[in-house]
Amino acid sequence: MKYHDDLTRRYLKRRWAPWASTLAVTLGVFSLLTVLAVMEGFKVEMRERIRGTLSHLVVEADPFRGLVGEDSLLEAIRNTEGVEAAAPHVSTLALYKVGIMDHCVLRGIDPIPESKVSDLARYLLSDDEIDQMLSDKFSMLPPDREPSTAEEIAHVFSIERRRQIMSFRLNEDPGPGFTRESPPQAIIVGIEALRSFRLQMGDVVQISSYSPVTLEPCSGNFLVVGAFQSGVYEQDLRWAYTNIRALQDTLQLWDDSAEDMRISGISIKLEDFQKADEISETLHKEIQSRMSLPEDDPKSIPSRITSIETWEDKRANLIKAVEIEKRIISVLMLLIVAFASGMIFLILMLLVIEKERDLGVLRALGATRSGIVLLVLKQGMFLCTTGAILGLLSGWIFLENINEFHDFIFRMTGLQLFPPNVYYLERIPVVLRYQDVLLVCLPTLIFGFLGSVLPSMRAGRQDPIKALHHE
Amino acid sequence: MSDSSAPLPVVSVRNLERSFPLVNGEKLMVLKGLDLQIYEAEMVAIVGLSGVGKSTLLHCLGLLDTPSGGEITYRSGEKTWKTSQLDEDSRCQLRNHFIGFVFQFFHLLPDLNVLENVLLPSQVSRTSRAWNKNRDEFHGRAESLLQRVGLSGREKQAPGTLSGGERQRVAIARALMLSPPLLLCDEPTGNLDSRPSESIHELLRELHEDYSTSILVVTHDPDLAARGDRRLQMVDGRFEAESTS
Ligand SMILES: Nc1ncnc2c1ncn2[C@@H]1O[C@H](COP(=O)(O)OP(=O)(O)O)[C@@H](O)[C@H]1O
Ligand SMILES: [Mg+2]
Repeated sequence: MKYHDDLTRRYLKRRWAPWASTLAVTLGVFSLLTVLAVMEGFKVEMRERIRGTLSHLVVEADPFRGLVGEDSLLEAIRNTEGVEAAAPHVSTLALYKVGIMDHCVLRGIDPIPESKVSDLARYLLSDDEIDQMLSDKFSMLPPDREPSTAEEIAHVFSIERRRQIMSFRLNEDPGPGFTRESPPQAIIVGIEALRSFRLQMGDVVQISSYSPVTLEPCSGNFLVVGAFQSGVYEQDLRWAYTNIRALQDTLQLWDDSAEDMRISGISIKLEDFQKADEISETLHKEIQSRMSLPEDDPKSIPSRITSIETWEDKRANLIKAVEIEKRIISVLMLLIVAFASGMIFLILMLLVIEKERDLGVLRALGATRSGIVLLVLKQGMFLCTTGAILGLLSGWIFLENINEFHDFIFRMTGLQLFPPNVYYLERIPVVLRYQDVLLVCLPTLIFGFLGSVLPSMRAGRQDPIKALHHE
Repeated sequence: MSDSSAPLPVVSVRNLERSFPLVNGEKLMVLKGLDLQIYEAEMVAIVGLSGVGKSTLLHCLGLLDTPSGGEITYRSGEKTWKTSQLDEDSRCQLRNHFIGFVFQFFHLLPDLNVLENVLLPSQVSRTSRAWNKNRDEFHGRAESLLQRVGLSGREKQAPGTLSGGERQRVAIARALMLSPPLLLCDEPTGNLDSRPSESIHELLRELHEDYSTSILVVTHDPDLAARGDRRLQMVDGRFEAESTS
């Protein structure tokens, strides 16, 4: 109705209180949008980094029995439809001692196949890059950097490189049984292990663990020959790579009954990760049928395999944690919107009481009950949608320039809200998904409606005679 | 009234009753079977003691209140409406088109200016699009009404800046905006001094003659009561005596 437009305009003009509720909605929408976009960006970034260090699928063996006869298994896996590459690995928890004692996750890899299944090639640092990283605590790899080739990775593990590295560390003792000419096996550590001075290039570290075969302690010496940066702090501090044969020897993985060296599992790269579940299903069947030796045969492979998991399964908790954080913060931010809707409720209630007489006059002039209800409802929804639009706009502008704002605050106050050394994020990641925008708008409008509906019902129920009775 | 065709009632009230429930469970009978006819182009004045039920009658006639018994029939040309057969929507429509209200306390909307107040009846029943189509016509009508009540040039003024008499003139213009066949005035000068009262009385009488609107006016003012074609005395929920002037 025509009178709605004019009265809405007049009622909201020259009054500041209604706009306070709009401001509250703006604030709520702004915070909600910002939080969702940054958390989503953070999640995507995390996933990306975790994904790189893990392969698409991992065939995981029973930790105590390991996996034997990997050649035929690898063959079978590589021939499966949709599989691009497969590589064996051994992994163990280990303690190492240089100056201090610390623990790490040590993976024995076969360099050339490994380079085809994971992003190690992208994370492996050249010597120049290591120097640069160590001189600047916050520096990160440029994203468009050329990945190392399989040969380069193999070279890092090679005897020539170990000899060369030893030649720079004249004071380093290669350890019993080793000489400068036949140095210990190579180990590649994360850049944070170097940055935190736990380890140094050219260090000979003694690694200790338990052999899953003999269940006795075992140890071996390794020479730090390189470093990688995955971008996930925890991994860059605790993960280390060595040659699979060297680690098999150290861990005494020779399986007498099967007459083969054990491995811990097989990493698989797929042509299309979207098909991971499907392919893992096929692999299961494949392995079951092709390796159908009797259950008690030591070479029986299926009984030694515990799972075939995607990398997402393996790191589900980490990603879920971010997802849950995102949800919790969103709910908290929604409280701001709920608060704003409470403000709309109060303001409309006051308006209905203040304008009781006006509404009575309108009824006397022929306005319908529903017309009066709509008049009040429209005011509430107008305040709410204005707030939502302003919030979306300001949020969008803010997100577009979030790093500039961050830099500005840093320059002004020296406050680093997002320390790059924790998450290695030089820039605050932002991913604005339309689902999230919807997730912001919908509850806001619903809350706005809920806040407006009671006052408008009250306005509609008012008795015009009573309203007109007094001046 | 010397016309050959007999004048027809614009509104006729038959046996109207209105009672209010009291807290002790009894009923307060305010209107007790009241009959009334108001003819086309007639001005009727109702007088009576305070609390006798004059406003209640006007509210019933104005479709703001629902009678407890009896019936009111509205007529315009060939068409008639009976209160017993009206749904909520047609009540609103009748209130909008058939009836104009003038209150003791003017009841202008303070947020709107004078012109907008007068335009209001044309806006409550029309969508923005329908209204905008006839915008010029409505503005013309409102402006001529304002001129007629002696307030031309004051269109943009806020009601708060007007004197009581001027406010009541705006209220009268508003009531006449859609040329309703029936104008209900509840003590229109009850809140005014004698000078502005007198000019309002004159205005009502003039408008009555100009627009040939039927007017029912409740008043304590003998001067205004004397200007009516008929004067009805309300006593104990009924009309006691009729005197024609
Ligand atoms: N809603 C109501 N509830 C109870 N009593 C009412 C109500 N409205 C009016 N009355 C009573 O009805 C009587 C008539 O009131 P009213 O029509 O306003 O008188 P007046 O002739 O002065 O305009 C009064 O006694 C008043 O107290
Ligand atoms: Mg009264």
